Amino acid sequence: MEYLSNDKILVVDLAKGDVEEEELSEELVAERIGGAGVNAHLYGKYADDDPIVLGVGLLTGSMYPASAASVLTAKSPVTGKLCHCPVTLKVGIEIKYAGFDYIVIKGRSDKPVYLWIHDGVADIADAADVWGKDVWETTDAWRKGVGDDLLQTMVIGPAGEKGLDCAQVCCNYWTGPDRFGIGKLFGQRNLKGMAFRGMGLLEAAEPEDFVDEAFELLEAVKDNDFMSKKGLGPICAALGETDAEEWLSPVVHRHSADYFTPYATNTFAFIDEDPATVTETAKPEPGVLISDIPALLAFKKLGLSALDAAKAMQACARQGVDPLAAATASGKAGKTAIDEILAQVAATTEPAAMEGNGVFSPWCPRKPIFGDFGASDTDAWWERRQAVAAIFGIQPVFAVMCPQLTEESMISLSNIGGELELDPETLDAVIGDIAG
Amino acid sequence: MGIKIDALKCTNCMACEMACGYHRDDGFAFLSACIVPYRAREKKDYFGVLLKEEDSLVVARPEGTEINRIGEEADPDKEADASAKPMLLREACDLCEDMKYGPMCVKICPVDAISVEE
Repeated sequence: MEYLSNDKILVVDLAKGDVEEEELSEELVAERIGGAGVNAHLYGKYADDDPIVLGVGLLTGSMYPASAASVLTAKSPVTGKLCHCPVTLKVGIEIKYAGFDYIVIKGRSDKPVYLWIHDGVADIADAADVWGKDVWETTDAWRKGVGDDLLQTMVIGPAGEKGLDCAQVCCNYWTGPDRFGIGKLFGQRNLKGMAFRGMGLLEAAEPEDFVDEAFELLEAVKDNDFMSKKGLGPICAALGETDAEEWLSPVVHRHSADYFTPYATNTFAFIDEDPATVTETAKPEPGVLISDIPALLAFKKLGLSALDAAKAMQACARQGVDPLAAATASGKAGKTAIDEILAQVAATTEPAAMEGNGVFSPWCPRKPIFGDFGASDTDAWWERRQAVAAIFGIQPVFAVMCPQLTEESMISLSNIGGELELDPETLDAVIGDIAG
Repeated sequence: MGIKIDALKCTNCMACEMACGYHRDDGFAFLSACIVPYRAREKKDYFGVLLKEEDSLVVARPEGTEINRIGEEADPDKEADASAKPMLLREACDLCEDMKYGPMCVKICPVDAISVEE
């Protein structure tokens, strides 16, 4: 595949300690498009090894708005199904710019390792020094090791190493969409995580036409009323949690966005620093980046202040525990004091209850945010919207916020950029295959 | 005429870096961009934007914009951003003079944090 791609699939055998490369054929892209579509194909190809597959969307890292996401595909220990978990922030695009489109991980290493992917080179590296360390210590160690604070990581903490169903694969320092226990799968394989860095270049077949259409789309996106808002508070309000924004406000520092995502879907809460601080704080670890709306609201429902909820979210991020699982476990055990809840984070084992069909992550709110997509069956609409996002590489929360990011526009830009002839029937077939 | 950056409006999405990289390399890339969100203080949630101009390096911080003249000795009491080093080697902003959209970073910024200052 010449365009929008590195033309490379990496196959990692952790048991043998070797890596191989395959070409990404244009025929495969024409049939399976990208992201979860190709991931599911590769899972089937290597099904005897029950692999973990990481893939980029066809539009990931392009000038299509919100093309931020990659996707992890694996047989979930929580649902028993092949699930597709978004990889967000700036980690999703770094995978593509580090030189690979798809990474198939099979086998189990006999010692702790991590994958180090940089500028088209893949190494299986020793992780003995970080095994037993938490998510923050691990990302810090890997960044320090290569002298690059922009290294992007996917990491498990103690929960993943222990093989718990509530274990997440975290992005850099933060919890994210993994409700599926993929962190457990990493731990079972002695895979501490992956690190990515690269300065690649992706060519488009018709770059000027691509940019013209992408800018036209961006202008339409910017017309939305929600563009005057930022962060999790307004999202909570739009979902009917009208008092959440005021509840959260005492800890809000700033809001940030995943790659080229027009709405900032992440809110940073300061815990031991004044949230009004605009200069660089001297505190090395002042708070936590929050993207998980259901988990945040679950801690709120336990009666926590926003400050205590942020403390709980930070503890989950360090341990690599799904914060919704920790909030659920705390509620079941009747724990409402923050010290008890912090103790519960490290003691959590069970996953959160799964909403939906267990294929796409309910970390993303399961209904339209702000806008009206005119859906008659919201559940079916949400599953399809998540499938489309996972195929093309669109930030999943923005996908349920912005009606202008249509399937037609994703197909059109893919055809212009990739010299392809995709059509709605192909997309329907891929969605039908991956959506469970 | 120059580029003006409001670092408090910025959401650190990197779209400006991509659009600038496209202007330089005719593809999707970040390698040669002269405008770069700095995001090395991730755990502190401290981010802004760097811009390489012909004679200066503009550092748009949340607390205000700082303009460092290139070639002058840096303040030894101030820790430099590691990302400033590769920036100094890149081509300076040319306001995308050959692009029909004008400065691409201004055109793409979804939150209008970047503008042209006459």
